[in-house]
Amino acid sequence: MSSGVPRALRETRHLLWTTLPAALWIVIFLILPSLYLVSMAFMTNGPYGQPQLPLSLEAFHQLAGFGFLGWSPGNLYTLLRSLWQTVLSTTMVVVLAYPLAYYITTCRQKWRPIMLLAVVVPSWTNQVIRAFGWMNLLAPDTWLSELAVRLGFIPEHLGLFPSSFAVTLGLIYNFLPFMVLPLYAAFEKLDMSLLEAARDLYASPVRAFLAAVVPQTLPGLLAGIVLVAIPAFGMYVIPELLGGGRSMMIGNLVAAQFAEGSNWPLGAAGSILMLIATLVGIVLLRRLGRRFGGGEEVVI
Amino acid sequence: MRGGSMRRSLAVVWWVVMVFLYLPLGVVVLYSFNSVNSAATFAHFSLRWYHRLFSNPQIIEAFWHSLLLALISSMIAVVLGTLIGYGMYRHRGRRLGWLIALIYLPIVMPDIVFGISEMTFFVRFNQLTGLLGPGLGTMIIAHVTFEIPFVALIVYSRFVGMDATLFEASKDLYAGPVRRVCHFIIPAIKPALISAFFLSFTLSIDDFVISFFTSGPESTTLPIYIWGAIRKGVSPEINAIATLMIGAVAIAALLSLALSRRRSASRQ
Amino acid sequence: MTQTTAQADSPDTRGTSTTPEYAAPDAVPRDASSISLRRLRKSFGADAVALDGVDLDIRPGEFFTLLGPSGCGKTTLLRLLAGLELADDGHVEIGGRDVTEVPPHKRSVNTVFQSYALFTHLSVRDNIAFGLRMRGVGGSERQRRVSEIADFIKLGGLIDRRVDQLSGGQRQRIALARALVCEPDVLLLDEPLSALDAGLRSQLQVELQRIQKRLGMTFVFVTHDQQEAMVMSDRIAVLNDGRIQQIGTPREIYEKPVNRFVASFMGHENLFDIESREGDCIDTAALGRLKVETPPHGELVMIRPEALELGSEVSSEFNRFEGEVREFFYRGSHIEYRLEVNGMRMKALSSNQGQRLFRIGDRVPMCVWPEDLVTLAR
Repeated sequence: MSSGVPRALRETRHLLWTTLPAALWIVIFLILPSLYLVSMAFMTNGPYGQPQLPLSLEAFHQLAGFGFLGWSPGNLYTLLRSLWQTVLSTTMVVVLAYPLAYYITTCRQKWRPIMLLAVVVPSWTNQVIRAFGWMNLLAPDTWLSELAVRLGFIPEHLGLFPSSFAVTLGLIYNFLPFMVLPLYAAFEKLDMSLLEAARDLYASPVRAFLAAVVPQTLPGLLAGIVLVAIPAFGMYVIPELLGGGRSMMIGNLVAAQFAEGSNWPLGAAGSILMLIATLVGIVLLRRLGRRFGGGEEVVI
Repeated sequence: MRGGSMRRSLAVVWWVVMVFLYLPLGVVVLYSFNSVNSAATFAHFSLRWYHRLFSNPQIIEAFWHSLLLALISSMIAVVLGTLIGYGMYRHRGRRLGWLIALIYLPIVMPDIVFGISEMTFFVRFNQLTGLLGPGLGTMIIAHVTFEIPFVALIVYSRFVGMDATLFEASKDLYAGPVRRVCHFIIPAIKPALISAFFLSFTLSIDDFVISFFTSGPESTTLPIYIWGAIRKGVSPEINAIATLMIGAVAIAALLSLALSRRRSASRQ
Repeated sequence: MTQTTAQADSPDTRGTSTTPEYAAPDAVPRDASSISLRRLRKSFGADAVALDGVDLDIRPGEFFTLLGPSGCGKTTLLRLLAGLELADDGHVEIGGRDVTEVPPHKRSVNTVFQSYALFTHLSVRDNIAFGLRMRGVGGSERQRRVSEIADFIKLGGLIDRRVDQLSGGQRQRIALARALVCEPDVLLLDEPLSALDAGLRSQLQVELQRIQKRLGMTFVFVTHDQQEAMVMSDRIAVLNDGRIQQIGTPREIYEKPVNRFVASFMGHENLFDIESREGDCIDTAALGRLKVETPPHGELVMIRPEALELGSEVSSEFNRFEGEVREFFYRGSHIEYRLEVNGMRMKALSSNQGQRLFRIGDRVPMCVWPEDLVTLAR
């Protein structure tokens, strides 16, 4: 144009000055720090828990359970527990959210925004406060704990918290809205006439539902699973507050290596594991999403 | 159709879930008015925990820290996020996969890894240069980092939702580059900017994990204070702070409902 | 701009000089500009040539239409005039000034967009005032000109509405007002009526044309609708594949298309290959020997459907043949017949004067006058 600078160059300059500030911010304050953390995993643990040279794979050995006293299964248990809690809570969330989301779509138009809001509002309060609420409810001598004692689930004078059960409950509570929203969006787009057509073709309503409705909600379901499973696996606050020492998840294992300054390389190795798990989760669900969801991009 | 019985059982599921969702919050609110320090029995109504709360300078300070952190980080994030959101929109024809990956990174990275990365980085940086000791500064940096993606995505989707010829119309109507930004682009995306700011603000106020790892001894925020108090032992004072925060959320919920009502009403 | 004073001195001189038969006494004269395009080229990528060397002159104060199917390059041409695209090669001159490299906000050209492109964050009034504000026209002057144009376009109460409360037709008028208030040298219109229903559309066609005549402004109008183009334009350029096929008045384009593309695009179906020629006679496979008025050139002969005379009392002694009615459509003011003549299909339109209508299967004698036969290039 009139400025005499070639158009392509001007466009590139525009791209750079609009995107570079934020991109650099993320590179400097997130990517560099994570690379530093990753590199720490290959260093040796110093006397004050500080990483130091020489480079070694010691941290990974420790993560796998090899210590001064030989091999112990503690870390492996923590990892398995994280996986188990993630699978269990995600499954429970799906089981609860699916009928819930469907129910909202069957209600009158004017009630739906209010109902969605009712589902979402608890998640607006602080995570710590929500966990604290459950601590109050599940503590020893509360009516819920008394009930559990009467039913013989737990021994007398103990509470439902701290326990693995409390952690699972806390995770379900925390992530339910993340599943309801994408599922609701999927149900709302649903072509209900297909259900009626399927009723003609299949004998039972259950089979009709499975054949006509479920495939159409798969993209929403997968989006919900991404939104629930990935953060659930790395959860820190809920197991820390609601679980005892025996309900630790990998996030707590990692944090413990830093908060108490005991072993940074070990914590870094644990972080790498969490990053890999996150990555695998995203890639896996994207694959599945592409197969079932007609390539619809999952947008958070 | 057997819709009747099915709908009734769905309604039961709905109400059970509602109880499940609001019971823990309700208990917190209820016991904040309890006259005795117990989670098991409610003696009678009292405001004593609120009196204690407001006379606790640590809590007041934590409140101001939370507010300051949320305000400053949201303002920076809105500026940076809007710029990158616009850049991504304007150059959406190019291959920007790396940029989109970069934008999603803070969202998908587990909180705990995010927080620890920042912490170790800031500690090392501080050892090397003496700058950026743990405190509000490091917290603001960390909060801006996780707020940028949300701002960018909100602004980007607002641009995508706009009629692209509006940009041409503004050029056609004699708006040069600077006037185009002031008189067209910013006013046109103002609703998105406002909601991006409020989302950032809420995310910041709500955050515990990342704040926890980047904070210093002088920069305790409300969630960090509550966390510390809980670890020391369940105290009804926490019920009182939590109730106030739940109240703030309830007000925000009502406001958003009223806003969406008005918006849909004006559309008809 | 200068025409404000001209308006005060002699309100109607310029308007009458360009278009005497339409100029209203209150015509607001403006500086109409000529446009000339030279060897204009534009491609999007290697295979997508949008404009392939276009030369075109548009006269000041003319209602000029770019007509063609989608993808013919007409919209690209308009966008080059607006400055929204840059030409790969060639020159654009508006009012004698080379504006090839001038960005859109520095051209005295305004556009009415197909989607209207009204700013939803602004009121109707602020939408109209937008261009004036960007040009730095002061508050009171701006107010005056906005109300002036609102009166001129007869916006009435619309001016105080919000944009999302307007219907399609109303948006179209606001878009027009927003462009006109800037008093550009040239107004560009990109299929502004295509989103409207048929009734509103023909009403606005008439109105647009009246406005143009009263203002005496140069209008460049883009459409794919040949009826619309004929109704509104002083001249039409028919485009295809990035090239101009023909430039002329609506009558020239319709009655004397220069090639098969223009003829079919204008809706002509009766096109026949010329097998051989002799003096002022040509031979066709379907209709046999035909007499034409001017010495024939080109490879095709065209018969306009309304030039065909049907019935036994046909008046011409030349060019007689007989066809069988295959289909007919009663259209009120005229009747459309589809006939078969020696295995070839023909379309005929006869105006409704209360005559007996032919039925399907009738064998009908017909003729065409030599002066109504047009020969054209392939």
